[in-house]
Amino acid sequence: MDVSQYLEIFLDETNEHLQNLNTQILDLEQDPENSDTVNEIFRAAHSLKGMAGTMGYKRMQNLTHDMENVFSEVRNGNIKVQPEMIDVLFQCLDALQEYTDNIKNTADEGTNENEPLIRQLNDILNNKGMTPAGSAPAPAAEAPAEEKAEGSSETPWYDIAYDESQISILSEGVKQGRKVYGIKVSVDPSCVLKAARAFLVVKAIEEKGDLIVSNPNSQDLEDEKFESDFTLIVISDESLENLIAAAESVSEISGAVGEEMDVAKLHPTEDSVEAEAPEEAAPAAPAQEAPKAVPAATPAAGAAPAKAPEKKAGKPVVNRTVRVDIEKLDSLMNLVSELITAKNSLVSAASTTSDGNNQTFNEQIEYLESVTSNLHESVMKVRMVPIESTVNKFPRMIRDLQKSLGKKLDFYMTGEETELDRTVVDEIGDPIMHLLRNSADHGIESAEIRAQRGKPEAGSIYLDAYQDGNNVIIEVRDDGNGIDIEAVRAKGIERGVVTPEQAASMSDKEVINLLFNAGFSTAKKVTDVSGRGVGLDVVKSKIESLSGEVDVKSQLGVGSTWTIRLPLTLAIIQALMVVVGGEKYAISLGSIQTIETIEKSDIKLVQNEEVINLRGTVIPLIRLNEVIETESHPIDDNSLIVVIVKKGDKMAGLVIDELIGQQEIVIKPLGKYVKQVKFITGATILGDGEVALIFDANTLL
Amino acid sequence: MDQLSKNNNLNLPEDGDETKIVDVTFQYIVIRLGDEQYGIDISYVNNIVRMQRITRIPKVADYLKGVINLRGEVLPVVSLRLKMGLDEDVYDKATRIIILKTENEGQIGILVDEVKEVVTLSEKSIEKVSHDSKSERTNFLSGVGKNNGELISILDLNMISLEDN
Repeated sequence: MDVSQYLEIFLDETNEHLQNLNTQILDLEQDPENSDTVNEIFRAAHSLKGMAGTMGYKRMQNLTHDMENVFSEVRNGNIKVQPEMIDVLFQCLDALQEYTDNIKNTADEGTNENEPLIRQLNDILNNKGMTPAGSAPAPAAEAPAEEKAEGSSETPWYDIAYDESQISILSEGVKQGRKVYGIKVSVDPSCVLKAARAFLVVKAIEEKGDLIVSNPNSQDLEDEKFESDFTLIVISDESLENLIAAAESVSEISGAVGEEMDVAKLHPTEDSVEAEAPEEAAPAAPAQEAPKAVPAATPAAGAAPAKAPEKKAGKPVVNRTVRVDIEKLDSLMNLVSELITAKNSLVSAASTTSDGNNQTFNEQIEYLESVTSNLHESVMKVRMVPIESTVNKFPRMIRDLQKSLGKKLDFYMTGEETELDRTVVDEIGDPIMHLLRNSADHGIESAEIRAQRGKPEAGSIYLDAYQDGNNVIIEVRDDGNGIDIEAVRAKGIERGVVTPEQAASMSDKEVINLLFNAGFSTAKKVTDVSGRGVGLDVVKSKIESLSGEVDVKSQLGVGSTWTIRLPLTLAIIQALMVVVGGEKYAISLGSIQTIETIEKSDIKLVQNEEVINLRGTVIPLIRLNEVIETESHPIDDNSLIVVIVKKGDKMAGLVIDELIGQQEIVIKPLGKYVKQVKFITGATILGDGEVALIFDANTLL
Repeated sequence: MDQLSKNNNLNLPEDGDETKIVDVTFQYIVIRLGDEQYGIDISYVNNIVRMQRITRIPKVADYLKGVINLRGEVLPVVSLRLKMGLDEDVYDKATRIIILKTENEGQIGILVDEVKEVVTLSEKSIEKVSHDSKSERTNFLSGVGKNNGELISILDLNMISLEDN
């Protein structure tokens, strides 16, 4: 079978599964008893195995197969989750990632058999004997009598998922003086027609009482979705012995055990999966289980529909999505851009030929404007994806850092659902990773120092994302040491980045900004985590290449907050159109604070630089005509029009000749032939067809 | 250096009979710069448009005149005159912008004084020019062709991509 055409889908889905496994195993480490998590892990591992097998990646299949075996034993309760096991599992995930990367690059999985890992997995499997929790399905079927003798340890009837109505029926029965029995029926392992046997048992039982609950539910019993035993809850006037005898009278039933139940002990809780899981799909029958769409809820859905929503909470239901090539979206976006340009020229044509009586024409143009705006917004939204896919890997990374740095770290993440343009999301991972590593390594102090400072032993690192107007803010925050400004100042001098005189006159803010210089690291020792002098400058240039900015606030001894601010979209922006020296330029509205008219007499000179005092803030002036090397032709000789722009804490006043107004513009690249002009980010086509260049106010500051 | 894309019309006889004269022809657009005429290989030419408003880009080399809007695309425009060390362009009714397609740098417009005609030259009538010649002007040429007794210098379009020294 030629499977190459599925390679891309395989890679996509494998990555999703691996990410999911990473997340779930992290959860498992926190909460080893959570059966939902175990089930989720099992399913993901199982899907991975199936996919790898189909694609013919044998080594990958072998590894996932062994992982699946371990998870299967975990969910059967035969193995308890141990920290060492989590470590092995993470190593397995890394190995799988390696396979996947190999496949991505060469369409071949490589030759690494990962034998040590497989051996470790098998060791885990073989050591299961020491854990008492329960026994595997096969022995349970062979020796039901022994279990009975052991008594109360084997009472599956208390573990079933009951909903409230079932409990009330049972309680009602007890009130009427009837008895409630829980009966576990074991089918001979060699039995072929298990469903038929189950049907006969149910029929026999129902002759002697009312069957209230079965586990698995009746549908699954019919479909043979059980391993070797099933549990029935019956209200009856008959004695337990009679019922058991009735059940055992069916051929190929190896045994039945039961007891009279105390209805008061039943709770409609979520524990149900714990009990259902081992019976519902042990290793021998995973194939039946895999295709289920909402697996966690399915076993309970039939018997206890009322419970289903509760269990689904927090679990992603399969999305109704379409995978679209990003290039198609790009071309759609380009078409929308064309449309907006055409619309702009219509608007401009309409305003120049204002005969006044063309009411309908103007109305239609306004309508067109709103439609194109909505269209643009929709296309933009299609391109938006949650940053989740990128930030999901960080909990795992922090966990690993915790081990390698020997520090205790708590990681909190919010706003994973915040959406950004797909291209930005793909690029933003590395900068955030740098900042997180930086916080973990440089930020969080050692345990002793934290104790001295009265801080909790575990350092906290926060990653918060949220939308703020037309920007998305991503914050990396820690409660660590903060930035030692004097250390940075000293380092700056030592590294020759600044002279001692310069350093002495620098504000704290300016000193902190030194951190973003290439080759600057204040870590006393170089670790493999950070402190190699690359990082913050890379972060800064990456963020700026995405038209964003990065800023840091810090208090020594208390912690630091790194703030990344990114524009929601890159291709179409709101801009202020201005005229300088007879040429039209666009300035992104995002960076503009206010527009002021300043009397020439209000300009002061500070260190030979022109500044203005705007409501108590001293702001340097930048004559745009000097930047673009042209003559200024101001309308009024006595005053200046100044556009106040802001970047982080820095402000500047851009002196322009004339204001045209606000406009939605489409950013077009200048083409590769034009070597990068530092303060021009691109060009746009105006309504009359003229090309105007776009100023990047950030680079002027 | 950037190679320009090229797809010439090769009128090769199908039977490949070696006794026949293989007639390889190239078509050239003849342009005028001042008093001189140059040929531009037509297979590089996407379009010829009238002079239009060029938006100046600050702080770039003087031969890069700026950018224009060609049906929604922003394209750079290069002055062939300044690139070749001639006098500054004087725009008049005859001035045209020839839009060339390049493999690596997208479309580039070049300013010429006039577009005269399209000529077909056979390969044999084109003489290669060696670049070690003393005259600076020949560095921009790939050959010289003869058309009805007139000489036409063929422009080496790769020079547009070259940085000035």
